Amino acid sequence: MLRVLAQNADLVIFLFLTGLGYTAGTIAERRHYSSISRREAELLRLPVVTFKNPYPVEALRGGVMVMGSVVISIDYFKRLLAILRNLFGGRVTSYETLVDRARREAILRMKDAARRKGCDIVVNLRLETSAIGQSANNRKSVGCVEVLAYGTAIALRRP
Amino acid sequence: MKFTPRPLSENVNVSKTHPLAELAWMLGGLALILMVFYLLVGQAVEVVAERLPADAERWLGRQALKNFTVVASPALDRRLQSLLATLPADSSLHRSDFQVWVADTDEINAVALPGECVVVFRGLLEAVASENELDMVLAHELGHFAHRDQLKGLGRGLVATFLTMALFGNDSSAASLVASFTLSFDARYSQRQEAAADAWGLDLLVARYGHAGGAVDFFERMSRREDAPRLAYLRASHPHPADRIRSLEKRIAARQYRLESVVPLDSTRLLAEPPRP
Amino acid sequence: MYITNIETIPGKTIVEHFGLVQGSTVRAKHIGRDLMAGLKNLVGGELKGYTELLSESRDEALQRMIREAKSMGANAVVNVRFATSSVAQGAAELFAYGTAVRVE
Repeated sequence: MLRVLAQNADLVIFLFLTGLGYTAGTIAERRHYSSISRREAELLRLPVVTFKNPYPVEALRGGVMVMGSVVISIDYFKRLLAILRNLFGGRVTSYETLVDRARREAILRMKDAARRKGCDIVVNLRLETSAIGQSANNRKSVGCVEVLAYGTAIALRRP
Repeated sequence: MKFTPRPLSENVNVSKTHPLAELAWMLGGLALILMVFYLLVGQAVEVVAERLPADAERWLGRQALKNFTVVASPALDRRLQSLLATLPADSSLHRSDFQVWVADTDEINAVALPGECVVVFRGLLEAVASENELDMVLAHELGHFAHRDQLKGLGRGLVATFLTMALFGNDSSAASLVASFTLSFDARYSQRQEAAADAWGLDLLVARYGHAGGAVDFFERMSRREDAPRLAYLRASHPHPADRIRSLEKRIAARQYRLESVVPLDSTRLLAEPPRP
Repeated sequence: MYITNIETIPGKTIVEHFGLVQGSTVRAKHIGRDLMAGLKNLVGGELKGYTELLSESRDEALQRMIREAKSMGANAVVNVRFATSSVAQGAAELFAYGTAVRVE
């Protein structure tokens, strides 16, 4: 029995890593999501908008650019699902949670920076997503997704 | 401008399907496609193996031969010819020009390669104890040629890998997945082909010697030496030695072959004979 | 539901805003489209299969964003931006984001 396992070592390692990816990945994802929901509830009062300054000049106290960024890695299980999807086409659901988490985390970090600077609103938000270097498209390694959120945090004069 | 914070209840950007369910569906679909592919390619390989021109086959054989360090063996050539001489005159094997090579390795095995090449490993020559045994091995390899197994053995896995590489590129994970799966599955003769070669070889041995003595000796020795559990033989290239012995004995009984004493062999004499220049 | 990529809806005033809304989707191509694209690579020109695929995906991302805006009680989304990026071999992420507002 052990000899059969040893002969098919790569397959065994692959299955093990996939299983590990699934279990550990699901746990990490759930924990991340609960952290995100908690922080979003806290920072709900600080709006983030994509339009430019809607306030008249007199109402502004100051503005500063703020950014939040995060890099989240893909695990083996997600990668396996993506490879299979490449055959059949359609929505890659395993990556949806990945980019969703990354985006919300980046925006939260940006909001956090804005709050620490005492600002009331973040305007002109832009989001940039990228797969880090060649690694996401490289067969041998498991890749990462980087999301950058940046905008201008405006502090309003107290009325 | 007034701002009203509205917390979101559902996440629109994430699909509700469970990843394991999705994996199951896709693996099922993939298995179905591979099965259809496998059957279709199997048919194609049969067709190609029948029609491959002789010099293409010889080229393939030369490529395969490069994997071994071999010396020609005129003694074994002569043995093979005397085996062939007992075949009926209309046998297709008479049209071929067989050559036997001895590979310098301790492994106990023999292979039939495309292009009328038989490679016997030195380990096997040292292990056999009688002429009948050795002739059984040679007859078994001739059986593969009689059934044109030597090309079909390469067939499916190679075509499947080639197609995947064409679709996804050499470096894609899909190609390597398919390659590792199909090449190890099919790149050797199937167990059925081995059993058929055993039966054909047995008949040739009886035609040569008049009796079936020594046919199972080799496998008996192998099964005593081999302690691998049966499970390991599920995907191995040869059937379990015990199974081969049983099938051979069944055939001997069915055809009522006699069993007489064997001619002992001094394999060192065989190996010492210098190769023809 | 009004969608614009300027700051206002022409002819209407924004009464209140609800913050950011985002819709994203990750799509992969399948073998059929890949083969056709491979063949097209020889002659050049528009890859209609891919164009269709990506614009369908963009529509889906937009629909998701609109759904989110509706659930907030908005009736318009202003200053919409799109972004495309490749997140894995053969898969692209498309997302649309904007600000959900109520106009009158």
